Amino acid sequence: MDRFVFLLATGIADGVVFALFALSLVLIWRSTRIINFAAAAMAVTACYLALAVTDLTGSYWAGLIIAVLVGGTLGWAVERGVMRAARDPLSGVILAIGTVMVLQALTGILAGPQSRPAPVPFGDRPVIVGGVPTLSPYDLFVIAVAVTLTAGLHTLFARTSLGLQMRAAAFAPEMSRLLGVPVARMRTLGWILAAAVGALAVLLAVPGELGLDPHAGDPLFVSAFAVAVIGGLDSAEGAVIGGLLVGVLVSLVTGYLGAAVAPLGVLALLALVLLVRPAGLFAGVEARRV
Amino acid sequence: MTSRSRPAIRRPATVFLAVAMIGATALTACSTPEKSGSSGEAKDVPGVTRTSVKIGTHTPLTGPASAGYAPISKAAAAYFAYLNAKGGVNGRKIDYVVKDDGYNPATTSTVVRELVQQDQVFAIVNGLGTPTHAAVVDYLNQQKVPDLFVASGASLWNQPEKSPQTFGFNLDYVREGKILAHYLQEKNPDATFCVLRQDDDFGKDLTTGITQVLGKVTAEQKYAVSNESLTAQIGALQQAGCTVNLLGTVTPFTALALGTAAKMGYRAQWAASSSGGDYPSLVGYLGEDVGPKLLEGLVAANYLPFDADDDWVKLFRQINTEYNADAPFTGNTIYGMSMAYTFAEALGRAGQNPTREGIVEALQSGSVKSNGITPAAFSATNHDPFGGAGITVVSKGVQAYLDGQVFTTDAQAGPVEAYTGPAVALTGEGIPGK
Repeated sequence: MDRFVFLLATGIADGVVFALFALSLVLIWRSTRIINFAAAAMAVTACYLALAVTDLTGSYWAGLIIAVLVGGTLGWAVERGVMRAARDPLSGVILAIGTVMVLQALTGILAGPQSRPAPVPFGDRPVIVGGVPTLSPYDLFVIAVAVTLTAGLHTLFARTSLGLQMRAAAFAPEMSRLLGVPVARMRTLGWILAAAVGALAVLLAVPGELGLDPHAGDPLFVSAFAVAVIGGLDSAEGAVIGGLLVGVLVSLVTGYLGAAVAPLGVLALLALVLLVRPAGLFAGVEARRV
Repeated sequence: MTSRSRPAIRRPATVFLAVAMIGATALTACSTPEKSGSSGEAKDVPGVTRTSVKIGTHTPLTGPASAGYAPISKAAAAYFAYLNAKGGVNGRKIDYVVKDDGYNPATTSTVVRELVQQDQVFAIVNGLGTPTHAAVVDYLNQQKVPDLFVASGASLWNQPEKSPQTFGFNLDYVREGKILAHYLQEKNPDATFCVLRQDDDFGKDLTTGITQVLGKVTAEQKYAVSNESLTAQIGALQQAGCTVNLLGTVTPFTALALGTAAKMGYRAQWAASSSGGDYPSLVGYLGEDVGPKLLEGLVAANYLPFDADDDWVKLFRQINTEYNADAPFTGNTIYGMSMAYTFAEALGRAGQNPTREGIVEALQSGSVKSNGITPAAFSATNHDPFGGAGITVVSKGVQAYLDGQVFTTDAQAGPVEAYTGPAVALTGEGIPGK
């Protein structure tokens, strides 16, 4: 039982980070119907600048703000500078992969390939409950950020006119344009939001991993992509639940069956969800399609 | 979407820029090809002219693996620059062509064929990685290209009958596991021994060596490099009551294991292999502030000169300053330079007019001693250089060999024996034949 509680706590801590990054993918899908394969590289680039600022000022929070700002700016730049050239979903994927190569090469050239440790704002020693190490204050901070962001995004998309316009622009661009929605601006806004969330997710994830290097976001992207599909690419709530589900699954499978089996566990979950609910657990209803 | 055709006209510039940048990155990884053998050598040996010997290697300079391994080829190149400045080997300068394979076996196949067919290298030297080099070992042997000092401790490279051209450099992982386990058991016979290892041949071979000596270990936890979290594994070791943990981990995961254990308040004796126990590299991962604290007491095996006051290390530091832009001096630096020295020594032993057959013969004759703490023991039936290793411990932020803790053993069930002979001493300013 102790072991189960321990693995559960570990899984939740990992899962929240998956969820945050999956949120970034969901946001771009919601606003542009594109899977952003460059999400990890963009976020890592923002994190390099964030860490540089933290080093200069000595303040974690200054770095965190910079990560969000630079992330958003990169989102704007990539959408305006690169993704606008996409003619169809496939060329969007190719352009995103090109962006990954450029960004990873640039960070590699400028900062070097080696990993560097990332600071944490709170203690990262887990609280011991009944002799079992559970979540650390840092994990709780990450959970709080994830919950706040999900709630905020939910409000934005479900309750505000801006959110409605963003959704409309993604679902039916031609129709929205006719109705006076500035479709291009909505797309850009979607990218800015998504890239800012992505940068935040990687900044929060890096202290638990090997450290920051040009490829630090890659494993996270793979997990988050599975999470986003499981949760339904369209749903912020789906990303959070999917993230926790995958995090706990990976932790339990690693703990009881072995690390090599963990990716198979995720694959099995993915296959199951796609068989039972092809659009993902929390996808919107089919009738919405225009 | 096809109705939005206008904006696309302006976009190709951006795309072109992206493509050009990628192209530029790829180009920097290659060196300019140059005509070889044009200076009229009596026997036409690929890559050898009267004034130079061209050799090549494959190594990850980009991609996730580059963080840990890119400094090795730079260190080797620095030693060759030093050697060339001092006149080279028998009047020939070494031209070291480094090709990036991104640690991807498919790319390794391509770049090694380029090196052999286009660049006409004399030999492949220190090709890096088990899965990568395994992809080219048969090709190199078919082409009869000397395949020297593979940067991996897998048992694959020591098969003189099947791969007569191939020679290893790293101490093989089984031997390393046996020696680490032997030392820890002698020191602390009542401990609860456990293993945390990478779920591949590297971790498996090391564990084979460990269990050879210890019998069964109390717990054996594995990790996959694709998942950068060791919390579940470290939790299991803690719960099993492990007091001595042997690590079949590469450097970043050694750092992650120690960091995770510290967070969980789990104290134990940790012991790493030479592939994951280099103190300066580990401090790089853990940070200057907490690194030294977490690494205090870390036991690690090693087989190359290491102590700060060692003559080899002093020379390598000097070369690193003068020819390697004063890059961080780590175990990788020592490794790269030691390997390069060993090649220079082998080339010198191959005589005034080196041939591909000649250098293989020279190695098999056993005359090449390298610079390890036990002399290299190449022979016609053994293509692994080092038969033993020493034990290093981190004490007050300094990693150094323990006196009298050098052992030799075989890669099978043979005993682990103390080695009392001297390490290979530095002569002639690290220039072979001087």
